[in-house]
Amino acid sequence: MHGAISTFMAGIQRLSRIHPVMPWCVGLILLLPLPWLVANTYQVYLLNHICIMIIMATGLNIVKGFAGQVTVGHVALAAVGAFTSAVLSTKFGMPFWICMPVAVVVTVLTGALVAIPSFRLEGAYLALATLAFAQAVEIFIRVTNYLGSASGIGGIKPPVFFGIVLRDYESYYFLVMPMTVLAVYASFAILKSATGRAFMAIREDPLTAAATGVHVKRYKLIAFMLSAVYAGLAGSLMAHMLPGYVHPNNFTVIEMVTVLLMVVLGGIGSIWGGVIGAIIVSIVADVTRDYYFYQLLLFGLVIVGTVIFMPKGIGGIIDRYFVSRRFVAAREATAAQKRERVDTLPEEDR
Amino acid sequence: MRMTIKLGTAAAIAVSVAASAVYAGEIRIGASMRMISENGQKYGQMMQDEFDAINAAGGINGNMIELILLNDECKSDKGVANANKFAYQDNVHLVIGSSCSSVTLPMVDVTAQAQVPHIIPHSTSDLITLKGSEWIFRVPISARYYKGAAAKYIGEKIGTNIAYVFASDAAAVADAEGLREQMSQQFGAEPAYWAQVQEKEIDFRSHMLKIKAMDVDALYIAALQEPMARALVQSYEVGIPAEVKRVANSVASNAPVPGMAGDAITGVFFTAAYSDSDTRPIAMEFNEMVRERYGVAKIDHDFSQAWDLIRIVEIALNNADISAADDDLAADRVAIRDAIAGIQGYEGLASGPISFCADPTPQCRDGNRTVVLIAYEKGGADFELGILDRVTMPIDFGLE
Repeated sequence: MHGAISTFMAGIQRLSRIHPVMPWCVGLILLLPLPWLVANTYQVYLLNHICIMIIMATGLNIVKGFAGQVTVGHVALAAVGAFTSAVLSTKFGMPFWICMPVAVVVTVLTGALVAIPSFRLEGAYLALATLAFAQAVEIFIRVTNYLGSASGIGGIKPPVFFGIVLRDYESYYFLVMPMTVLAVYASFAILKSATGRAFMAIREDPLTAAATGVHVKRYKLIAFMLSAVYAGLAGSLMAHMLPGYVHPNNFTVIEMVTVLLMVVLGGIGSIWGGVIGAIIVSIVADVTRDYYFYQLLLFGLVIVGTVIFMPKGIGGIIDRYFVSRRFVAAREATAAQKRERVDTLPEEDR
Repeated sequence: MRMTIKLGTAAAIAVSVAASAVYAGEIRIGASMRMISENGQKYGQMMQDEFDAINAAGGINGNMIELILLNDECKSDKGVANANKFAYQDNVHLVIGSSCSSVTLPMVDVTAQAQVPHIIPHSTSDLITLKGSEWIFRVPISARYYKGAAAKYIGEKIGTNIAYVFASDAAAVADAEGLREQMSQQFGAEPAYWAQVQEKEIDFRSHMLKIKAMDVDALYIAALQEPMARALVQSYEVGIPAEVKRVANSVASNAPVPGMAGDAITGVFFTAAYSDSDTRPIAMEFNEMVRERYGVAKIDHDFSQAWDLIRIVEIALNNADISAADDDLAADRVAIRDAIAGIQGYEGLASGPISFCADPTPQCRDGNRTVVLIAYEKGGADFELGILDRVTMPIDFGLE
């Protein structure tokens, strides 16, 4: 097992040496045949759903995991993206390739609004403020006829890609999967950038971050806006997937708890953890579909259990594994060097 | 030893041949319903029990029915996931669902694309059959018939000066807007008061006080069960006199409402597909069966519609030429669709005959056109209902 993982990691490192984007391209190519490998169209539908959830969880990780801002308004931002896309598609007849970027821009602007309370509030107070925002969005959609009110908006057109209508789940996968890979890659790029380091400084201690020259307000605003890019993209992708229907019931606190579970289980601040969390939670939610009375209870228990027994989530376990592997490797290298040095010494000095 | 093996093999073959003669195949039916409420579970349980009874009686032409029952929590994304699972993973022959219009609407697109016959137990939104899917059939009464019948009765028997208070759930909005539209079209009457409230509104008194100050003929309330009961009680608390007739949407027919509203529900008028004060022998027998089996004191129209749906499905499956073999799934689905479309003049618990036909139009797929006009004669847990009238609407009504 260790051998296989080491070989895999060594392979990735070799690819990175050719070009940093190379492992991602290989990953993308490896994921392409998935729709043919799964058993049926329902599983392709699930793959698409998982991809959208990965985008959601990755976005939430930026604001919560990287910048340490407690938000429960992420799903409401996705609702903004979904309904913007839905309105543009159904009322103005715009194609997906216009609806999606506009939806992202509108969501980013809304994300900037959500960021304002974070300038003064923290922790539970910020959570309450963002919860109020989430409720306000849901209620606003419900009472606005133009947004479909309580009936939702149907008839959202599927994307067209070089004349091919992505009407079925199989073809939609080839849109949603590359976007997911791109979103995860972008998340790593953010984390490695100066912006990512500023986020982490704010997360650890906003006062110290400010003292070292980090413009805390600006970076909090950027964190919320970047997170909103992901939410808007996920919302738009949700809206345009078959059957092209959005409803405010799909963007409630329960959905927020589900996305939160993905991030907490995966490990707050761990990108791969968030991805794994999204995959696991989506699959568990599907498998436990028949046990609907216990599903939320299960999710709640997992969140509490993870926070108590595994505070860094699955990502923490992965990190610990690699850290310990590196430590063992370093120790072995040191020992080998020591042995070499000893071997070169004259016999009487050993 | 060799002789024993031969005998064993022969016996196994004989048993499997005999079994295949009795158990030719399996007809899979997927049902997606709102099963988060107590009654919601019981509708699902009744479906399961009825299909089990059909199986116990030998099934459909030797084929056993397997019902896969899933909850959609009245959420469209869950309904869509269920429909996809039914169509592509469970390979069902027929989809039933959902209880909520906002869930059924997107499910129709999934079943149309997957080419699976789809029959609706409870959803009333006009838009469902206006989609033009050749795979969809509706057992309950379409909202276009409800609002027309209600408006006619209210305008002629109660008055045209109406105050509307309605919640933001899909059915309440559609019902209120539909009634307003019909009152305007049939009588040229515009609302005296028009207010939309939250889905789970608690305090209606500010609205009720304003309405009290107006000289209205009727107070129309459309909401989910609890808010409806609260609104009715609060209308009396603020002093709106009993002479102002209370009118409600079909949610008033749900059994918990009179229990919660108590005396405030007495005199409330609403339209539904069925009333448990129905004195037809079939209705009395059905009421008795539901009371005995599920411990429900008063039976609402969601029970009767689910039961009618099962009977229609049973007839269609018996009439359809299906093999129930996995290889013939697509052909079986077409056969079941055509068999449902061939149902004419089904008479069950609905107050009028239910008929379908082949065209994918609302005229062909909104099978039930007979609306029952009902009023509460007594509130509380042991409420009593009175049937005022039954109206069979013209087939094209609401499509002009």
